[in-house]
Amino acid sequence: MNSNLSDPAFWSRLQFGFTLAYHYLFPQLTMGLGWFIVYWKWRALRTGDEKYNQAARFWAKIFGLNFAVGVVTGIPMEFQFGTNWAGFSKYAGGVIGQTLAMEGMFAFFLESAFVGALIWGEKRLGPRYHFLAAVAVATGSWLSGYFILVTNAFMQHPVGYEIQSNGTLGIQSLSAYLLNPWAWIQFSHNQMAALVTGSFVIAAMGAFYTLRGIHPTQARLYLNAGTLVGLVAALFVAFPTGDQQAKMVGRHQPVTLAAMEGKFEGGTDAGVAVIGQPNVAEKRLENPIEVPDALSFLAYGHFGSYVHGLDEYPEDTWPDNIELLYYSFHLMITLGTLFILLMGLAVFLNWCGRLQTTTPLLWVLMLAFPFPYIANILGWMTAELGRQPWLIYNLFRTRDGYSQVVSNGDTIFTLIGFTGLYFVLGLLFLFLVGREIRLGPDHEIVNSEAGASAPGKERAV
Amino acid sequence: MIATWFGIVSFMLIAYVVLDGRNFGAGMLSWHVAKTSQERRQVIAAIGPLWSWHEVWLVGFGGTLVCVFPRLMASGFSGYYLALMLVLWGLILRGIALEVGGHINDRLWQGFWDFVFLFSNFLLAILFGAAAGNLERGVPLDAQGNFSMAFFTDFTPYGHVGLLDWYTVSVTAFIAVLLAAHGATYLVLKTEGPVHDRSARAANYLWAAVVPLFLAITAETWIVRPALFQSAAHKPLCWLGLLVIIGAAITLISGLARRHERRAFTGSNVLIAGVLGTGAVALYPVMLYSTLAPENSLTADAVASSQHSLLLASIWWPVAAVLAAIYFIFISRRYSGKASVRTDNQGFYD
Repeated sequence: MNSNLSDPAFWSRLQFGFTLAYHYLFPQLTMGLGWFIVYWKWRALRTGDEKYNQAARFWAKIFGLNFAVGVVTGIPMEFQFGTNWAGFSKYAGGVIGQTLAMEGMFAFFLESAFVGALIWGEKRLGPRYHFLAAVAVATGSWLSGYFILVTNAFMQHPVGYEIQSNGTLGIQSLSAYLLNPWAWIQFSHNQMAALVTGSFVIAAMGAFYTLRGIHPTQARLYLNAGTLVGLVAALFVAFPTGDQQAKMVGRHQPVTLAAMEGKFEGGTDAGVAVIGQPNVAEKRLENPIEVPDALSFLAYGHFGSYVHGLDEYPEDTWPDNIELLYYSFHLMITLGTLFILLMGLAVFLNWCGRLQTTTPLLWVLMLAFPFPYIANILGWMTAELGRQPWLIYNLFRTRDGYSQVVSNGDTIFTLIGFTGLYFVLGLLFLFLVGREIRLGPDHEIVNSEAGASAPGKERAV
Repeated sequence: MIATWFGIVSFMLIAYVVLDGRNFGAGMLSWHVAKTSQERRQVIAAIGPLWSWHEVWLVGFGGTLVCVFPRLMASGFSGYYLALMLVLWGLILRGIALEVGGHINDRLWQGFWDFVFLFSNFLLAILFGAAAGNLERGVPLDAQGNFSMAFFTDFTPYGHVGLLDWYTVSVTAFIAVLLAAHGATYLVLKTEGPVHDRSARAANYLWAAVVPLFLAITAETWIVRPALFQSAAHKPLCWLGLLVIIGAAITLISGLARRHERRAFTGSNVLIAGVLGTGAVALYPVMLYSTLAPENSLTADAVASSQHSLLLASIWWPVAAVLAAIYFIFISRRYSGKASVRTDNQGFYD
């Protein structure tokens, strides 16, 4: 990021990036957990086994807290299109507004109508409708993800638009816009990554309860589901979705791929640097350790393929923070690989019936849950830093998109405000989730709205 | 087409005010009508599981505004930068207070969140009231259609205005009292016991206070923007709006007088929708009026997306709106009736 402190675009980018990265800590778990809850509700309906209901209820409580923070931190995202990015809204509102509006109309109404019923309304709705509420909420959260990814895909790879007589963008084909191939690949990659977060969190809870020696039935349920889904999702994140994503970047944003890989010079038989630091000033990669030919193969399918280097493109089309982009991308790949190994090992030991007793692995599973969050955010940093210096790739530059009338001081002020408020929100969230974990899955009072009327009613059964 | 979308966007904003307005109102009154922590839980139970569905109308409005009137969204939101950020922070506090206040059965914990809830609802009602006043009065738009303004300048509603002046402060007071009255009417319908009785008394005197405030801001609007009334007089829809307001007022008064709770609340909803709707029709086609020079004003035609964008949006929007209404009806039926303080171990209220 061009860190010129008197540049308004810098502060608006920092604010958008910070509020978005923070916000996305929550929806990724919402999207990841939603289908686990649906699955347990379904098993409970089919088998009548109360342990599935207990699991669904417990995770619905975590889901509810997570959802609440996701909602309140999400509203600022939409408003910032107008407050901080007025130039962008004016230019592209007719196109990106379609999906922003659809997200509200199709996804949020669905989610928000049923989420309260999912968390508190088990008795009011009855088992069938309660199951449907779980389906509605999970569907809503994934729909919302799709509309946002279509919006982002348009910024990465604009399709279905026309340039109007007044110079702004209008929509030319809604179907081309909604079915942007970039959106499908990015959506698959992103949703699988959200499932990885969900599975790691569930597996961590299972490992925690197992190590503690409490709630054994629930702990086994969480470990089984978390490790199995975690392995499958982690594999899908890498292949085919991640692989396709990288190939697509190579096709449509070759300069971005070069920057992600720290390729300052183009050439055939390009290798992948496993280790190395880009030195942008001198235009080279310091102390690289390369896997020969790997990049040629990964990006274009042949070991000898020519891979473009940054030197082939004018410098004003280079991503403006190559170092950060390079580290984000490489760390994401490293973490993704470790996820596959960890979950592979856990699933294997579980299959042998030895996971419950392999204490070191349980420790690792318990402590590993923050890393998918990190990998998800790194993935988004790769996507968004890689898109620079464009707000809409090859159409509209980031420096043209910010609000002219908002001063730097205003943005810095609100950025500090968001930082403080979000810090408090984070503490509150951790405290309340920690409390739910301590009370455990067999805690009877789902919501102590009840507690108010009956002090002392809280009990652990 | 553009007029239709002006109507839809206004409808969404009005739906938001009518729906979330009851929550603001109930929130502002939550210390007045509910004296104990337990009674305040009852107020929150009355707001019920649909508060975030109500809030989605604001999100949907924002998204639709980018889609169909992108230039208005760009000018308006960046011009009101700090005020809008306060709205966002208020919404964050309000949502969190609602969601976590009941989580721990502890006097201090609940007392703290009850206060945050009260404070954020006042803040939001005041900010939305000021926003309404600003829409009627106008903002200092320059020739490029941009503006940026202070919270207040010299407190006159002409020229280089601020967010607050004598006119917008009056509108703020009107809106705050109106929403409080609306919230009280809602609590009468949804609660029983002492909260119900106090809300019924509050509803009576708050509605009584609405009448002089309404007459006052009508007179003030006549002074600040006389042209609004001239244009309204030529619009049949404004006369229809006036009939709706009168009809709603009669329904409301008869509902209050005969203690017919549902009728009173229906009247209250229609009345607010009528007042805001008539205001919106009177404003059309101007969406943002310039206090510096009328020719700088942003009209619906000038800020709209292309015909094609509007056409495409009018295909999917009705589908989504019908679906949203179905979810709402399904859930509200499940949660109909009074919110008591009796709860089981799973119900929001019994």
